[in-house]
Amino acid sequence: MDGKRKLLIIEDDPQMRWFLESCLAEQGWQTQAAGTARAGLALARGFQPDLVILDLGLPDMEGLDVIACLRRRSGRPIVILSARNRESDITSALDGGADDYLAKPFHTSELLARIRAVLRRSAAAGEPVDGVFQAGDLRVETGSRRVFVGEREIRLTPIEYQLLTILARYAGRVVTHRQLLAEIWGGAHIDQIHYVRVYMGHLRHKLEADPARPFYILTEAGVGYRLREGG
Amino acid sequence: MAASFSPFGAPGGRTPDGTHPLPARPARLLTYAWGLAAPLACTLLAWPFRASIRPTHTLLVYLLGVYFVAIRCGRGPSIFASFLTAAAFAFFYAPPIFSLAISESENLVGLAVMLVVAVVTSNLTENVRSQARIAAQRERRASALYRLSKSLAGARREDEVVMIGGRHLYGEFGGLNTLILPDRHGRPRHPGGPPSPHSLRGADLAPVREVLGRGRPVGAVPGGPVLYLPLRGSEGILGVWALEPADVRRVWLPEQKRLLDTFLHLIAQALERARSAERAKLASIEMEAERLRNSLLSSISHDLRTPLAMIVGATGKLEEGLDAMDPDYRRRLIRAVREEALRMSDQTAKILEMARLESGKAALNRQWTAVEEIIGSALQAREGALRDRRLEVDLDDGLQLVYLDVALIQQAMLNLLDNAMKYSPPGSPIAIAVQVSPQRLGIDVADRGPGIPPGLEQKIFDKFFQVQAERAQSGVGLGLAICKAIAEAHGGAIHAGNRDGGGAVFHVALPMPEPPPVPPPADE
Repeated sequence: MDGKRKLLIIEDDPQMRWFLESCLAEQGWQTQAAGTARAGLALARGFQPDLVILDLGLPDMEGLDVIACLRRRSGRPIVILSARNRESDITSALDGGADDYLAKPFHTSELLARIRAVLRRSAAAGEPVDGVFQAGDLRVETGSRRVFVGEREIRLTPIEYQLLTILARYAGRVVTHRQLLAEIWGGAHIDQIHYVRVYMGHLRHKLEADPARPFYILTEAGVGYRLREGG
Repeated sequence: MAASFSPFGAPGGRTPDGTHPLPARPARLLTYAWGLAAPLACTLLAWPFRASIRPTHTLLVYLLGVYFVAIRCGRGPSIFASFLTAAAFAFFYAPPIFSLAISESENLVGLAVMLVVAVVTSNLTENVRSQARIAAQRERRASALYRLSKSLAGARREDEVVMIGGRHLYGEFGGLNTLILPDRHGRPRHPGGPPSPHSLRGADLAPVREVLGRGRPVGAVPGGPVLYLPLRGSEGILGVWALEPADVRRVWLPEQKRLLDTFLHLIAQALERARSAERAKLASIEMEAERLRNSLLSSISHDLRTPLAMIVGATGKLEEGLDAMDPDYRRRLIRAVREEALRMSDQTAKILEMARLESGKAALNRQWTAVEEIIGSALQAREGALRDRRLEVDLDDGLQLVYLDVALIQQAMLNLLDNAMKYSPPGSPIAIAVQVSPQRLGIDVADRGPGIPPGLEQKIFDKFFQVQAERAQSGVGLGLAICKAIAEAHGGAIHAGNRDGGGAVFHVALPMPEPPPVPPPADE
């Protein structure tokens, strides 16, 4: 086993497969690729990748089913590629177990950033995230439960703080409304998505210089939110 | 023939639709009373003149009386009157007076002749009377058909024809009725839609199936009170009319049966006419859609081939002479390829979106979202392009929740922003304003460009419309059409106009329901 991390690509378009493989190999990944869901799942069993890039529009199986199969075997992170860009498809995939998504066409830099963010989380999986989160001027000290923007300390309500820390835990990755709703309010309120929006609005007003043009907490329209990564 | 004077007596007995009255005879008892009264009156009338008139001539007076009874009251009473007359004459006038015997033969002959005349007259008048009645009924039927025909001529749609047919059938035959049509598979279905005063509810479908199969009427007395009649068109049986007539026996009379058949025939014709009119309308809509599709295809073809030409050309060049190429030139080619590809991607997305919105299958995915979030994510998506612009954002209350399809409204916003950027000089400001009032959301996007040419404020929202035709960069011209489709899908509208001080402003107005209650502050 060499030190290289392993990446599995499941994408039916051969050009796209070639492009992804070459791109990522350059970044130091050891890659394998499959053109169909079944071939991909078989490869996953043998290859045991550290990350899977999955196209949602595979010919032989529904994206959600592939995600479910992959999830059943291990907790490896999954990044989905979507050509259809219907936000309901993307939200279902994320709520169904995918970790992040990329809409086609995408920039390679975006792809790499997503992969990085997804792996960072997975590396710390299971451990309480303690310490400090920093992105730009935003600083969250989880030990003392204090939040700063630049020199100014920001007073947050418990819910606002929870929102921010969840986003920070997934920094760089998208978190769906449903995920936030479930983590903070629990399953009973699963249809009251507007709760999340209302509190997110309050949080933005406290953190952002211009809440209508947010810098830290980015909106993924119809899907969820993404906290800008530090560094 | 609105009879103001009718020798046949007072008009009476109106038909249910309140037209043409039938001449009716007075009640039977009354007629016999007349039959009794007439001879008595004649007796009294002639009595003062008995000395100066010969008995035979008195008979003529009696004859007048009998004649009057025959005309007014019909055969029975007139025969009764005749015999009474005979008795009265014999008793009061024919010698020997005050006895029923008649001694003179001329009086006997006169009496006999009078009786014959009375009977013949009453028969004749009876015939004339019934002929008049028949003629009146025929006239009534003809005018019922005329009225039905006239109403049907005005009907344009199938449901109108059915309604008119039902109403007239009820009017003429006095029965509740309904039309049962077969569905696509030939199975009879109860009609949908609200019932009318003349509708028959709960008709049995089994006899309907029988009629559809055999093509002959079913029902009436053996099975039940309802008649099931086939509605025959030029190409077969269109449906079955279930009718519960007020008087079943009357319906089977030959004249009535013929009338019913003619009614149904007229209705069937009108129904076929309405159906083929609808088919023609659909065909012309199809043709229009086809035409639009063709122009769309040719537009797409043009707008995608140009960037494709650039991509194929540039990459070909790169492949050929990559090693010897000047690095700046190489970079420029590559950038051009990327830009053209992105442009194509954008165009295709717009075309697909427009097609999706128009197909009617675009179900709105509405969510409660904050105003500033919607505006913010659109601005975020255009971050790069907006860098050289001054943005004036005025949100009434950014935290206000609004109920809309986030992805679609984002798209509309992006189209409006792109439009503003395209039609105003770089560096000029773009203004976005949002007003939220109870039940209404208003979004304004305004620029400081040349504005909209007067008269074109509506046309710019047409598909494929471009203010400057054939501009290479202008794209397919769908951006604003998509905005309009999105606004309308939300039950709202979009308007364009010019601002004070120059520039165009686009105003989107969307109706809004009551915002939901704010979450419980359980964790505060």
